[in-house]
Amino acid sequence: MNLKKIKSAIKQKTSHSRLILYSILLVGLLMGGINPVKAAGPEDSEVLAIVKVKIVPVVGEEIPEGTILIKNGRIAEIGTTVSIPPGTRIVEAKGLTAYPGMIDSYSSMGLVEISGVAATVDNRETGRINPQVKAIEALKYDSMHIPIARANGILAAVVAPSGGLISGQSTLIKLHGWTNRQMAIKESLAMVVELPGIRGGRRGFMGMGQPGAVSTERALAELKELFHKARMYEKRRAEAEKNLLLPRPDFDEASHFLLPVVKGELPVIFSVQADKDIIQTIKFVQEEKIKAIFYGVHQGFKVAEEIKKSGIPCLIGSLYELPPLWEDGYDALFLNPGILNRAGIKIAFSSSSSSAAKDLPYHAAKAAAFGLDRKEALKAVTIYPAEIFGVDKDLGSLEKGKLANLVLADGDLLELGTRIEKVFIEGKEVDLSNRYTELLEKFKRREKEKKP
Amino acid sequence: MQSEKTKPRRNRGALVIFILVVSAMTFLSWVAQSANAEVKPAYALVNCRIIPVAGPILDKGTILVRDGLIEAVGPADKIKIPPDAEVIEASGLTAYPGLISAHTNLFLEAPEPSEPRQPEDFFQALTQPAEPQQFPELLVLKQLKPKKQTIESYHKVGITTVVVAPNRGIFQGQSVVLNLNGDQLQTMVLKQPWALHINFTTERGLYPSSLMGTVAFLRQKFYDTLHYSDHWKRYNSNPLNLKRPEFDPFLEALIPFVVEKKPVVFQCNNQEDIKRALRLIAEFRLNGLLTGCNEAWRVLELLKNSRVPLLLNLDFRPPSTSLYAQQGDAARKRAEAEIYPANAAILHREKIAFALTSFGLSDSSFLKNLRMAIKAGLSQEAALRALTIEPARWLGLEKQLGTLEPGKIANLILTRGELFDEKAKVVRVLVDGIVFNYEEKGQ
Amino acid sequence: MRTSLKKIVVLSTILTILGFSASSLLAGGNLLIKNATVMTVTSGVIPKGDVLIVNGMIKQIGQNLTAPPGTRVIEANGRYLIPGIIDTHTHIALSGTNEGTEAITPEVRMADVINADDSSIFTALTGGVTMVHTMHGSANPIGGVNVVLKLKWGKPSEELIVKEAFPTLKFALGENVKQSNRTLLPGRPQRYPATRMGANAIIRRELLKARDYMAEWDRYEKLKKSKNPPANLIPPRKDLRLETLAELLRGRLIARCHAYVATEMVEFLNLAREFGFKIGAFEHAWEAYKITDELLEAGVGVSVFIDSWAYKMEAAEGIAYNAAYCAQRGILVSINSDSSERIRRLFNEAGKAVKYGVTPDEALKMITINAAKQLGVDQIVGSIEIGKQADLALFSEHPMSAYTRCDLTIIEGEVYFDREKLLQEREAAAIKKGGN
Repeated sequence: MNLKKIKSAIKQKTSHSRLILYSILLVGLLMGGINPVKAAGPEDSEVLAIVKVKIVPVVGEEIPEGTILIKNGRIAEIGTTVSIPPGTRIVEAKGLTAYPGMIDSYSSMGLVEISGVAATVDNRETGRINPQVKAIEALKYDSMHIPIARANGILAAVVAPSGGLISGQSTLIKLHGWTNRQMAIKESLAMVVELPGIRGGRRGFMGMGQPGAVSTERALAELKELFHKARMYEKRRAEAEKNLLLPRPDFDEASHFLLPVVKGELPVIFSVQADKDIIQTIKFVQEEKIKAIFYGVHQGFKVAEEIKKSGIPCLIGSLYELPPLWEDGYDALFLNPGILNRAGIKIAFSSSSSSAAKDLPYHAAKAAAFGLDRKEALKAVTIYPAEIFGVDKDLGSLEKGKLANLVLADGDLLELGTRIEKVFIEGKEVDLSNRYTELLEKFKRREKEKKP
Repeated sequence: MQSEKTKPRRNRGALVIFILVVSAMTFLSWVAQSANAEVKPAYALVNCRIIPVAGPILDKGTILVRDGLIEAVGPADKIKIPPDAEVIEASGLTAYPGLISAHTNLFLEAPEPSEPRQPEDFFQALTQPAEPQQFPELLVLKQLKPKKQTIESYHKVGITTVVVAPNRGIFQGQSVVLNLNGDQLQTMVLKQPWALHINFTTERGLYPSSLMGTVAFLRQKFYDTLHYSDHWKRYNSNPLNLKRPEFDPFLEALIPFVVEKKPVVFQCNNQEDIKRALRLIAEFRLNGLLTGCNEAWRVLELLKNSRVPLLLNLDFRPPSTSLYAQQGDAARKRAEAEIYPANAAILHREKIAFALTSFGLSDSSFLKNLRMAIKAGLSQEAALRALTIEPARWLGLEKQLGTLEPGKIANLILTRGELFDEKAKVVRVLVDGIVFNYEEKGQ
Repeated sequence: MRTSLKKIVVLSTILTILGFSASSLLAGGNLLIKNATVMTVTSGVIPKGDVLIVNGMIKQIGQNLTAPPGTRVIEANGRYLIPGIIDTHTHIALSGTNEGTEAITPEVRMADVINADDSSIFTALTGGVTMVHTMHGSANPIGGVNVVLKLKWGKPSEELIVKEAFPTLKFALGENVKQSNRTLLPGRPQRYPATRMGANAIIRRELLKARDYMAEWDRYEKLKKSKNPPANLIPPRKDLRLETLAELLRGRLIARCHAYVATEMVEFLNLAREFGFKIGAFEHAWEAYKITDELLEAGVGVSVFIDSWAYKMEAAEGIAYNAAYCAQRGILVSINSDSSERIRRLFNEAGKAVKYGVTPDEALKMITINAAKQLGVDQIVGSIEIGKQADLALFSEHPMSAYTRCDLTIIEGEVYFDREKLLQEREAAAIKKGGN
């Protein structure tokens, strides 16, 4: 486009040429990419700017009104003085708050569809020792529960198997993808070990915490044996590799899959509840020199000092449970997270569910109602789980360089009445329709049918 | 001709005498077989302390026993010892009326359904049709096998009379009152049957399998009994044009209790059972008594107003429904040690009449718990009355038992030391005037 | 002289009766709650309100109220005062839930098996719940007669019963009744009914039998009262089961029906029309959103969960919008817990409804006045109004907030749950333990 030519054309001022001129200008504008008509937003917009939005980055100060610039799926800029390059798709977000997507630190999403219908339940293998089973390999990525959780702001989750002593390998997934493998952030996140619950107490959630026949002491002894066996297995296999004359030990499945654990490569999530059991397990972890995370920790508040000293992070079990012992007080489980947090322990909340996975934020808020600092409560569903699972480079807060996994909410993320208006995973806006909305729309049509 | 006439008259006379003699011998031999009818010796228990329950305590007294009955009770210097009486020196001892336990399961051989052991047994147990546990017609007397050791152990805690009640099902059956005078069942019977026993339990796998079902079941059975009895009465007085009612042994067995108002004993395992029983007693105007009742202290107003006799047991374990059993081990143990033992004391303070029973406890636990009840505030006098005259009254045996008075049955115990003391020992027991010696060597 | 004496007698009798009835209503407690955000439910919110309770009744609502000397004063400091929460579907405070050996058991009564020692009562109080409709379970097409209780923890069972409530009879349809989720043992026959068709058929059969039973008694009464009653006239057998169903047909009992899927509810409405009995509400009613027209036409409400779904096939199409959508269409909706754990979070469950399309005020109604209406006790509880019974709960934040906590629960002017007092007791116990 020759500017001089345009200028002279304008100067000519004949109506006919003006018409041609303006059309050329219009075409030019359109081709230039400044589109006055806002497109519906093709999903794979490479550059995206969320503007006029309140920002709660979780790490760092809140920004009452600012901009988030997203490029190639990551947060490129965030703040009040962000320059928006031309060609950026703008998302107007006045009145909304941007939060990082929440991370559910323990769930059965994708493994349990309808808990009472055995054919749809895939989280419990038969037998006691199952280190070989992997949750990712059974994940129903199009479970009806995943879009519902996503629509409530949960963008990543740990999916854990259950049952027996060694339940299997849990996985960390993002709540978006066309296959189970596409959803995997860490295909094998941690080995799940379930220790017995509190004797004389009530049954725990997801079948855990059963006052069982085996005491924690015996269970840990059994584990010790298995770990020892795994180590010896490896040594003997290694020696046999070197020396072809040595008889090679037969393949041992359990030892094979426990090796990463005993080597300290794959952490173990211990489901453990009673105060004495927690102490025993800490000792075990230190003796075996393995990486550990605790889950449940109903009586953690009684041994907070020891947990703090051990450095083991705690995944809080569902708060939708009665305290196992009357003597602990009706609010024991509600007070627990606050006590652990104030003792300096890293905590993360979990839904411990599939059909109630969307309730993750409300567990955090419940703990806040009973003494947990509200900011800490928010961290315990975002940055803390990210740190615990080693994905804090990409997830858990709204910071430059991290993945653009965020939600736009019309209020406090942990509040009951809050609605999530938009969800972005790796910079792409995600559809919020789910089972609830689909059925509602279907039957709202009945109303419309009657109207003339 | 004349000799022929007199001969038949003489023969008839001989025949009559013969018949008389034979029948007298038969009668005597028959009588001799029942030991009760056998004339028992006379005894004089001398120089003992006597607590007759009726009347003031005698520091030094004499009791005369003859043929199973008390002949006289009085101060030692006022009673003349008959020459044919065997003298039992009882100085240093105390005489009490023999204790009555108005609810036991003594001598019952009916075993509880045992737990299956083999996997096939489990399978069998679950797939077999269940047996209904209703026994209104059961006369528990027929199931008893008295054992000498049991009788001795009961004597040693001072109990000489017991009610033996059946122990299974909702309608458990009919109890019997026994005097522990030996091991011949027939001679022990004081009253047969005494009462119908009902327990607030459930069937397993059959209606009613829930407590609410049991209450509805009881009410329906009571209404059915009234209807059945009416129908039969009408039919028996005038069967014309009236369809004959069907015979039903279950309802037939209930008529004496629901219609004729013979005693019905409800087993109350917690405070709500007491309320349930009182409501049933009121609705059907039954001649009701309550047994068990270790939570009676929580239902004082209702009990005061109802005036239904209570047979309290001394089992202090809080029932599983109670809040003391829901707040952890420590709370439960504290309740068992500190709260429930005061049951009898509280009732006594509120002037609610009761008897104490050994139901649910071994004989040694009975004594131990009795002492705990006294320690918790029950006066020894009230405890004694609750084991003597009160149960005698409600069993309808107050003219025969419960006190040391002339004319009553000679059921008494001699103790070394005060009866409710830890160190007390029962050294001699008389039941129906039969002496049992438990004096240990070296005393 | 005589007439004036008569007048005096009449007057004093009237006064005595009046005085008696006024004071014998309740012998409850006296309290003055000051500076609360009073959420009356029926007449808006009073930002800095006082509520005066005398003899267990709400006597005054206003500002700067004074109390008679000796009245306990509770300083609310702006905290939120709401009517005591009413849970219309629970099984707490009972010794036993189902008489499941037979399919039809209306003769059983929950009032016969109340357990006032159940610690779930205390658990419910910690969540601000003051009244529950505690019921027979859902194992039978026709269960038993339910009972409404006030959670007066520590009082004897007979004092918990709310006599003013509608007497209700439990019905159930669907998977629990079919026992479809239980494995059958060989040798043990499947209990009839094993299908939804059978469930309706058995209910119809029993109601027809009940009609027959009523007719039998009518015939008997007629013959008995006649001029020449026959000599062989004997009354029919009194059958408690059919008696109870007769009460339903006479309108003295109201049906509360556990139903999930749309067809169950549509057909139960038809049964009610066929036999002329009243339905109090559908329990759970997960698919109510599919048949709002039918529910509106019949004037029947629902008592639902907000989002506890997907545990059975019949709950697989339960949507969290159910409660809100039904409310928007004008159906009377209450939210229940049916759980001794969820009962103490009932206010949170109601709070979730806001997300799905109702205002916070409407959500609060779902656990107060709506529930009261469904139970027939809205004249005495369910809102904070002068003349109603003082069943109240005090919350640290707005009751529909996720951050709120119940601090105080009051029934008829007596405090049954006091978190502050509880914390003081804990501290004292801890000090004592530490000192030993």
